[in-house]
Amino acid sequence: MMTNKIRKNLILVGEVTEFFNSFLKCLFSRPFYLNRLYEQIIELGLGSLSITIVIGLVTGMVMTLQFGYGLEKFGGTLYVPAIVSLSLIRELAPIFTSLLIAGRIGSGISAEIGAMNVTQQIDALRALGTSPIRVLVVPRILASLITLPLLAIFSGIVGIFGGMIIAYTEFNIPTGFYINKVLSNITYVDIFGSMFKCCFFALFITLLACYKGFHTREGTRGVGNSAIWVVVRTSMIILVSDFFLSKLLILVFS
Amino acid sequence: MKDIILELKNVRKSFEAKQIHNGVSFHLRQGETVGLLGYSGTGKSVLLRSIIGLEDIDSGEILYHNNRIDQLSEEALFKVRTKISYAFQSGALFDSMNVFENVAYPLFEHTDLSEEEVEIKVDAILNLVAMKESKRLMPSDLSGGMQKRVGLARSMALSPEILLYDEPTAGLDPVNVDLILEIMKKFKSAGFSGIFVTHDIPAALKVCDRLLILKDGVIHFNGTPQEFEESQDDFIKTFSNSDN
Repeated sequence: MMTNKIRKNLILVGEVTEFFNSFLKCLFSRPFYLNRLYEQIIELGLGSLSITIVIGLVTGMVMTLQFGYGLEKFGGTLYVPAIVSLSLIRELAPIFTSLLIAGRIGSGISAEIGAMNVTQQIDALRALGTSPIRVLVVPRILASLITLPLLAIFSGIVGIFGGMIIAYTEFNIPTGFYINKVLSNITYVDIFGSMFKCCFFALFITLLACYKGFHTREGTRGVGNSAIWVVVRTSMIILVSDFFLSKLLILVFS
Repeated sequence: MKDIILELKNVRKSFEAKQIHNGVSFHLRQGETVGLLGYSGTGKSVLLRSIIGLEDIDSGEILYHNNRIDQLSEEALFKVRTKISYAFQSGALFDSMNVFENVAYPLFEHTDLSEEEVEIKVDAILNLVAMKESKRLMPSDLSGGMQKRVGLARSMALSPEILLYDEPTAGLDPVNVDLILEIMKKFKSAGFSGIFVTHDIPAALKVCDRLLILKDGVIHFNGTPQEFEESQDDFIKTFSNSDN
């Protein structure tokens, strides 16, 4: 039983690696589907913008509230801007945005490609002399690599703004002081690190979603199962790999 | 006698333990339409899919103009697939594109035609399959017969040398069956070749120059419609009298 599970997982890793190789081959050879890339950027990026704003804003507000009251007991309210902004930019914004994208986009991609697979549309693409990897996978992965880091940074900025409102209204922290503290604590390294993590998460989310879509079987039931599989696996990968990526970034930049 | 453009030699194919093809051999000549018949599950559609490389064969040879195509890479096969086209049983239309976009897709991918030229060509093809009036409709708005006709139109868009028809008349009413057969006849009269997978013996007799019967993984019968009808072979007699 255990051996079987290990074998299955090894096969999965092999297949995903092969799928990634096909992606790389198509990425660096013609034809390029720039209009499809543009469509995906709009769908992935602009489509996720409103929910990213809500999540960023609420996270920043809640964090400020909790840290504010927690640190107030020790007279440390003035540290709130630095703590909130750093934790948002370094960890919370990339993690929450990536989890959101894994749920919204990952499941959507696997369901869409999975449905195309079970209705023979992917075979039709091949039969018409085009590469489904080139047409379906390359634009989606590139679009997520472009949009996810930008969404995460934007979410972090909105979160800092939300924190500023709460800091002023609840703890009387002047806005000028708040902004000054945020700008003096956040460095380019924090922003670069956050974007680096997001690129890693974006690659995994879309790669696994596309892979699962291409391997969807058993009709509409299989489409639903693929979507669930992608959300569960990518969420786990995001959370677990975040620790190692954070450690790596600290080692490199400390 | 016209040239052989497609030839299968001793093709074998299995899915895990199940042997589907056990040495299939036949050829297709220029301008000829061949009917591929057999009971359900004998691997007729798998054979069509193998010809254009959607399925890998285990052994044997598939030759197109005397060049082996069964060993080509996926990228190399893309060129072959513009010459050997496949009309899916379900139509397999792209559900995010309308009828016009579906038929125009291969033209935009493989030709340098301008948008106006593509529009003219697509209109002509849609006219051929009596779907010109529906070119702005989405696949979900079409009936099964209409989807098959659009699928046929899409597979004809690049004027392929060979068209592989995978049960184009299955599940259709007699009017739609006749419409599809008329389209196939027009394509044939234009000099193109085809392989017609079907259960529908009367339909095959109407459009095919030759019939192949697949049984136990091999071609059991290979002859003209007249030879088929006059055959004294027990299996052929039973098959021709059955509903398949």
